[in-house]
Amino acid sequence: MPGATRSTNAAIGPALVSGLLALMVPGSAAASPPAVSFTHDVVPILTKAGCNAGACHAKAGTGQNGFRLSLLGFEPAEDHEQIVTAARGRRIDTAAPEESLLVRKATAALPHGGGQRLVPGSPEHAMVVRWIAAGAPPSRPDEPRLTSLSVDPPEALLRAGAHQPLVVHAEYADGTRRDVSALALYESADPGRVTVDEAGVIGAVGPVGRTAVMVRYGGLVAVTRALVPSARPPVDFPEPRSFVDRLVFANLARLGIPVAADCDDATFLRRVSLDLTGSLPTVERTREFLAAASPDRRDRLVDELLASPAHADFFAGKWTALLKNRRDETSDITGTFAFHAWVRDAFLTNKPFDRFVRELLAATGSVVGNPPVAWYKRVRDPKTQAEDVAQLFLGVRLQCAQCHHHPFERWSQSDHLAFTAFFAQVGRRPSGIRGEDLIFHRRGTATATHPRSGATLLPTPLAAAPVALTPDDDPRLALADWLTAADNPWFARAFVNRTWKHFLGRGLVEPEDDLRETNPASDPELLDALAADFVATGFDVRRLHGTIVRSRVYQLASRAADETTGNAAAGFAAFRPRRLSAEVLLDAIDRVAGSRTGFANLPAGTPAIALPDNAYTQSSPFLRVFGRPDNASVCECERNDTPSFAQSLHLLNAAGIREKLAAADGFAARAAVDPRPTSALVHELTLAALCREPRPEEVLLAGTFVDAPLPAGADRATVRRERFEDLLWALLDTKEFLFNH
Amino acid sequence: MSPRTLFIAVVALATAAAGGSARAQSVCLPLPRLLSIVPAGGQAGTTVDVVITGEGLEEVERLVFSTPGISASPRVDAEGKPVPGGYRIAIAADVPEGVHEATAMAALGISSARVFSVGRLPEQTVPAPASSPAAAVTIPVGSITNAHVRPQAIDHHAFSARAGSRLVVECAARWIDSRLTPVVIVADATGRDLVADRRGEPLEFVVPADGDYLIKVHDLSFQGGPAFFYRLVLDTVAAGAPLPRHPGTHPVNACSWPPPLLAGAAPALEQEPNDPVHPQAITLPCDLGGSFQAAADVEAFEFDATAGEEWWIEVASERLGRPTDPAVVVQRRVDDAGAVRWEDVAEPADIPSPVKPSSNAYAYDGPPYDAGSADVLGRVAIAATGRHRILLRDLFGGTRAEPQNVWRLIVRRAAPDFTLVAWGLHMELRNGDRAALSKPLALRRGGSVALEVVAVRRDGFSGPIELVIDGLPEGVSATGVTIPAGSNRGLVVLTARDDAPRGLAHARFIGRATIGDATVERPGRVASMAWPVRDAWQEIPLPRLLADLPVSVGGGETFPIAVTASAPVTAVADTTVEIPLAVNRRGEFSGTTARLKVCGGPFDKAGDVEVPLAGGTATLPLDLKKLGVPPGEHTICLVGGGVTAYRPPSPVAKGPPAAPPAAQDIAEIIVSEPIRIHVTTAPVTQ
Repeated sequence: MPGATRSTNAAIGPALVSGLLALMVPGSAAASPPAVSFTHDVVPILTKAGCNAGACHAKAGTGQNGFRLSLLGFEPAEDHEQIVTAARGRRIDTAAPEESLLVRKATAALPHGGGQRLVPGSPEHAMVVRWIAAGAPPSRPDEPRLTSLSVDPPEALLRAGAHQPLVVHAEYADGTRRDVSALALYESADPGRVTVDEAGVIGAVGPVGRTAVMVRYGGLVAVTRALVPSARPPVDFPEPRSFVDRLVFANLARLGIPVAADCDDATFLRRVSLDLTGSLPTVERTREFLAAASPDRRDRLVDELLASPAHADFFAGKWTALLKNRRDETSDITGTFAFHAWVRDAFLTNKPFDRFVRELLAATGSVVGNPPVAWYKRVRDPKTQAEDVAQLFLGVRLQCAQCHHHPFERWSQSDHLAFTAFFAQVGRRPSGIRGEDLIFHRRGTATATHPRSGATLLPTPLAAAPVALTPDDDPRLALADWLTAADNPWFARAFVNRTWKHFLGRGLVEPEDDLRETNPASDPELLDALAADFVATGFDVRRLHGTIVRSRVYQLASRAADETTGNAAAGFAAFRPRRLSAEVLLDAIDRVAGSRTGFANLPAGTPAIALPDNAYTQSSPFLRVFGRPDNASVCECERNDTPSFAQSLHLLNAAGIREKLAAADGFAARAAVDPRPTSALVHELTLAALCREPRPEEVLLAGTFVDAPLPAGADRATVRRERFEDLLWALLDTKEFLFNH
Repeated sequence: MSPRTLFIAVVALATAAAGGSARAQSVCLPLPRLLSIVPAGGQAGTTVDVVITGEGLEEVERLVFSTPGISASPRVDAEGKPVPGGYRIAIAADVPEGVHEATAMAALGISSARVFSVGRLPEQTVPAPASSPAAAVTIPVGSITNAHVRPQAIDHHAFSARAGSRLVVECAARWIDSRLTPVVIVADATGRDLVADRRGEPLEFVVPADGDYLIKVHDLSFQGGPAFFYRLVLDTVAAGAPLPRHPGTHPVNACSWPPPLLAGAAPALEQEPNDPVHPQAITLPCDLGGSFQAAADVEAFEFDATAGEEWWIEVASERLGRPTDPAVVVQRRVDDAGAVRWEDVAEPADIPSPVKPSSNAYAYDGPPYDAGSADVLGRVAIAATGRHRILLRDLFGGTRAEPQNVWRLIVRRAAPDFTLVAWGLHMELRNGDRAALSKPLALRRGGSVALEVVAVRRDGFSGPIELVIDGLPEGVSATGVTIPAGSNRGLVVLTARDDAPRGLAHARFIGRATIGDATVERPGRVASMAWPVRDAWQEIPLPRLLADLPVSVGGGETFPIAVTASAPVTAVADTTVEIPLAVNRRGEFSGTTARLKVCGGPFDKAGDVEVPLAGGTATLPLDLKKLGVPPGEHTICLVGGGVTAYRPPSPVAKGPPAAPPAAQDIAEIIVSEPIRIHVTTAPVTQ
């Protein structure tokens, strides 16, 4: 219904009349004036009016001026007590409802820091007054419980400038259903693309692409996915190589975005080597690959890279950072090295990811005998253990729910506590190695206690029933069972989404570890298909990597086919170039310059991608400035791959870079005395750095520079060495080198 | 590297190690320590040329082995000159395969022990293993390779094998006294890793294709040096056979295993699946063997028991050398209106350390030896007649399935008994709090040294335990400070007379107690550190049990101070006695007095006594009534510390006399000679 409108007054206004009339408590008789439900009628009005926002009366701890409501009305019983009983009941006057402090403040009849939140005479004002007049009763114990929320349409296709009203329905335990569009809260995930007003009318205002609009009511959330397609006519797509291509192309077809051309072999070689192994190929391997004519040369290269130790090194570095492998004291080295090696071995042997997670979660013993116990050293308290597990392996952020109901999610404080209870019986005792505990299941029934209600909560997976355990059962094994079950709604999706982002530069869900219902995937069908494939293959990580990098989508050129859409990369219509990460860049510079970076406690020649812990970030200015994480966070965002001015300065000025250019047996030193013509050396350098042959103009330019007449009396070898150093330096500063593209 | 260069390198490294330790010897007077034997073992029936290194090993007189059949003779070079540290070791063909111990009798006396392994496979020594695949030296399948890793290095060894061969690759290190935490990787010929072990376990490698392969060895955190030696076993194993394991020394907590008179092997084995759904029926008493085969394995055994019965349950698994934490729960079946439930009857605990062990805190808070174990030992009292069950789990086994993690379960009537283990007493003084030193019993003349002795008590035994060390060298006496009833700690003081001749003997250490109506003697074990660790925050201490107890008098040095009671003491119960002490100073000390603590049963609560470091006399007052000392014979000793100016003996030099070596300040334990106190009954007052 493009162009449809609905009242969009900021304050709740007359447009709510019909909605409010329908909003009487479910199950009440239609003939008599319906009873007003505090939970289902009054609290939503307060929520819509913003009274219980975090910045107002739901401010953590204190509320506002002594009046404290629960965040977004998630705790109606507490709110009722605050409104009706607290402050000696002065907020309510049942004899003169309109004179109630609650009403007079909300209508700004009395000075109110929050201004007017209810319009006098409005239906919601009338509703609140009527509720007070009825004695301001709490909700009846038998009042039907709100069970679900739905929004129609679930997906909206909006051409630029079009509008669409949303209709929201609440369903209750007694089977009744109400239109709550008027009292629902709306929020667009990307207001620059799709807007939504107070009344729930969405409008396409921005560029081509997808986004979501979140709807909240009564503690539940629902989502409409909004697509803003291009105005272009349908375009042709290349032949898909797999389900990945088929689904991506289908999505792009709906959006009207054409795909880029396939990338050439040189680009693919460099791209896939960097993405799978964090390393540039050798010059010999590059020559061999570029000379190969077999149609399956790319697939064979992928197989080769997947089986290489560098693949294990590269992904071990990624995961040990997320698993907080920190060395804070010298004596931590045994644990950090053991844990890194364990992760690396898992990738080396392609340990199924479900097994990897199980062994990590339920780790017991000593750090040398069973290195994943190191995780329990760094992540010590059950709350953080639960939150890290949820974020890392489920893409669920429970942190907000530790204090109150998650505002954008279904998770309550009880959910958080019950999930945390899985870690309640983790026992520790000294191991004889300083700082390293032995980890074991401490016999006993795992529970958690709700701080407000005092209720005892049993270990409970998310959105599932509590798990029955005996005191001898390690709850973490039960958690691992649930987590890695084939039908777990998050586990496989979270991992494939994280993996997709690694290779394509952007997750199907962003951020990659926030798989909220209110943060839907940009291509849900692809996310589901990848997850299903991952489960079907027995959580085979290598195969998942192969599936992605063998796809045509991954092998697209980085130059978009249609720059006018301005958003090709968002739909994966072109490869998204990205700066090499700190370790990868350092290794690449060493590889091209022929230099070597030494790392304490590690054998000479150890690449930066194989560094086991954060101590090397602290000791290396290069790794720090290029954003290697300090292994302190479970979020991938701790790694900073954003280009910065400091990085440019480092490449231009840092002594460490100059030393690499001038390495004693490095490229420049060898080239200076190499009898081959300069053009051959330029070829070699270009192959090493960019994995391609130099263009004729590049050879000419480089040759002119290096072979320029020598200054009088100058030593030829010295001058040539300096010129090769400069040439090398210039090359290392190009975007083509610094980026994977 | 030529043999000569190698020798120089070894000597240089040894010198560097000794130099490092010399600086750190600000605690404890120098003691001889045998730190490495290269190679660290040999094949039975062969002779092996070795080089030893260590500290305090001046003027080594001979190498002494714990096992008859192994002997050593000094080596000479082609010109007939002695090879420094060089010995030729002859291993008789009938020497059992396993770890044996070597010690060196040096000027200062007998050294700490170093493992010397004897095997059945041919051996080779690779002095400088290749650090790259291309340079790897091929080793034969069916051999043992002796080598050591260098700092920040990865050793590469090559081998050839046929497809389908089942090989075992094991890098013995930790339990042959090496400081190496080994990582073993089997790689293809280009160096691409195939399989790895990082726990010191034997690694199985089924050869995928005919060809050449590599074994990479390195330390977990890439440390290295002569102390990081290893023996790399590469051998074929028949399909289905368990992987053989290189023999090793035993952890300290193995002292309490096996119980006296236990059969070597369990007479019965578990019958799988013996889980709670399919329990294995047993009758008590029982002695079963089995293993934690499956992940989160639960072994269930059901039996009938009668109210009033009392049983003791003991489980060994960690003490068998496995990285396990067995846990037992005993439950009784309860039928509630047709529903069956199991009610907890007992949860026998781990074996606690007899004394609080070190927590690796900043200051000393207990010995760096833990005789306790994660194994199980506890009492089960049957309160109601009926069906019961034992559930046995491995608390470390939730996610692993390793049949090599064996256990032994014993359920018996009470058999009260005890086990003893002793180690060099720790000195709480001057930056030595975190030290974990090996302390060979190399006595100086006129000196007393103390062993701390702890008892692991079994099945409710709580009586006193008399400590005895005999078989000592001439001029040496040992006096045990009895472990009192209900206590777990005692001391043994060994004293060398001022005129004791240089000598060596292998002593016997026993505990004697009355259990029931019988007097029993139990052999005690002695533990030491594999390496002298000066700071347990920087290095991981490696304690282990020793094979025997060599005791020596060096003869070259005299202990700098002696504290003795002037005369035998007799006192009347419930009175206060003042014991005159004589302090005989022979060396220089910092400060004027030393504070000594009284040790010995009820006397532990007595206050400290100060003695003059300049020599002279002091008085130890003891309020026998306040201390609750009963009539009878008692032995006490005084333990404390002081800082002495130690001047190593000047080497016998040719030519003009050299300047005497500079004195070093060294903090050392001061232990008095044992003081015997005869307490008589108080006279009855009318």
